[in-house]
Amino acid sequence: MTGQLNPAEAPIIEVLNLSHAFTARGHTVPVFQDISMSIRRGEFLSVLGPSGCGKSTLLQIIAGLLPSMSGRVLFEGQQVTGPPPEMVYLFQQYNKSLLPWRSVLGNVSFAMEGKTWTRSQRAERGMEYLRIVGLDDFADHYPWQLSGGMQQRVAIARALAAEPKVLLMDEPFSAVDALTRLELQTLVLKIWAQSGLTVVLVTHDVDEAVFMADRVAMLSRRPAVMDRIVETGLPRPRDAVVTRETPRFLELRHQLLDTLLHRDPVGADA
Amino acid sequence: MRKLGRAWPSLVTCLVIVAIWQVASDREVVNPALLPPPSRVFPLLWEMIASGAVLAPLAHTLGYLAAGYALGCAVGISLGVLMGVNHHVFNIFEPLVELIRPIPKPALIPPLFLFLGIGTTTKLTVIALATFFPVLLNTIQGVRGVEPVAVNTARTLGHSTIATIVKVVLPGALPLILVGMRVALGLALILVILAEMLVDAKGLGYQIIDLQRSFGITEMFAWIMILAVIGVLLNAAFEWFERLAVPWRAK
Repeated sequence: MTGQLNPAEAPIIEVLNLSHAFTARGHTVPVFQDISMSIRRGEFLSVLGPSGCGKSTLLQIIAGLLPSMSGRVLFEGQQVTGPPPEMVYLFQQYNKSLLPWRSVLGNVSFAMEGKTWTRSQRAERGMEYLRIVGLDDFADHYPWQLSGGMQQRVAIARALAAEPKVLLMDEPFSAVDALTRLELQTLVLKIWAQSGLTVVLVTHDVDEAVFMADRVAMLSRRPAVMDRIVETGLPRPRDAVVTRETPRFLELRHQLLDTLLHRDPVGADA
Repeated sequence: MRKLGRAWPSLVTCLVIVAIWQVASDREVVNPALLPPPSRVFPLLWEMIASGAVLAPLAHTLGYLAAGYALGCAVGISLGVLMGVNHHVFNIFEPLVELIRPIPKPALIPPLFLFLGIGTTTKLTVIALATFFPVLLNTIQGVRGVEPVAVNTARTLGHSTIATIVKVVLPGALPLILVGMRVALGLALILVILAEMLVDAKGLGYQIIDLQRSFGITEMFAWIMILAVIGVLLNAAFEWFERLAVPWRAK
């Protein structure tokens, strides 16, 4: 069955019975309830759900950026109480996440400061990571001189420069144009394949969730619960065009879209 | 050349004003003893500059201005960051700030005499106080306006609270801090002149009040013109510094 772990390998992250609620004008609105999942070391997991189901909130709790209201997150067996250095969160809003007063290289170096690297080592390694995302020619530029897609690539290089074990991506491609999105998806898959990173990608895009992931965790509408976790079983390396034409991809896309739409009151009466 | 092209209407305005001043004084529309014509003020001004007579009072005034302004900025920015970052600190200091802030700072000079004496300590304190409030308020606002995504990015990249304040919060708040510093510079200049008129025996403020009392009217106007030029130069220098300090704001 899907979601089963190889008992020989402990999960890198365990999400245990997380619940969250927003308080507005004295009312408590539950966002998600009793979410549990195990994230395998080295896997690419997509978390899929309709807007407002608290996907980003869930990811921020996993990252230790938000305290959990109820339930726990374990990272390598340790309870997460603050941002662990080996988990890095990549924000959707790259334009707010990059520091405008620092050059592209300065932004990447930001991830290595406070660690043992010297200034010249940081610059050298920063250039390496910029090369990986194809921006080594833009090291001296400033973020606002780059396109949106390039800015997100800088943010990706910066996240990698922190040498995390886990990369948590919050709708990282939703603010760029469709073609750039396909390029970034391919780039991230390539980096993932070469690095041994564990990636958790939050998205509302079924196509993206299936294309990228080993497994897709699907959340229901708010108040969200874990609907199911499916193994995509699509072969790698994946191709931006060919993979999307395979029967298995189409089948998964169909299933997941069906579920999403049938639970949506707008789509339900169709 | 293009800069000159944009500047010429202002230049014409200045020339027209000087011409009206000259004519008004020549025709005795105003008493030339009270408003000497530019044909007497400017040569005297030039003489003062050429002989170096302006240097000592100017250095005196600018020295105190710089010291009081630096003190006010340092305290304003430090407390502003603490109040902006931590709501406990904010709640502690906010009533005090709101109580003293609306008082026009010149009104504080007489009570300060009582506690600090009629001298340079009072002068420095009042300049620093005038500087402090606009810097403090803008720093608090600037710190609160810092992008939370940038702060959370620093956290997820493993930066400590101190490092996050130094590397993200301060530069993020800098544009607004500079707005406060610019307002404060104008106020500090007013206060240094006023304080010199009241407590000092040196400096531009003292020169102006002393010459008025001893009917050195032409020289008094020469000093006022110097003060006007200082004001313009300080503002221009600040604008230049601002562009240098926050180049990303230009975009």
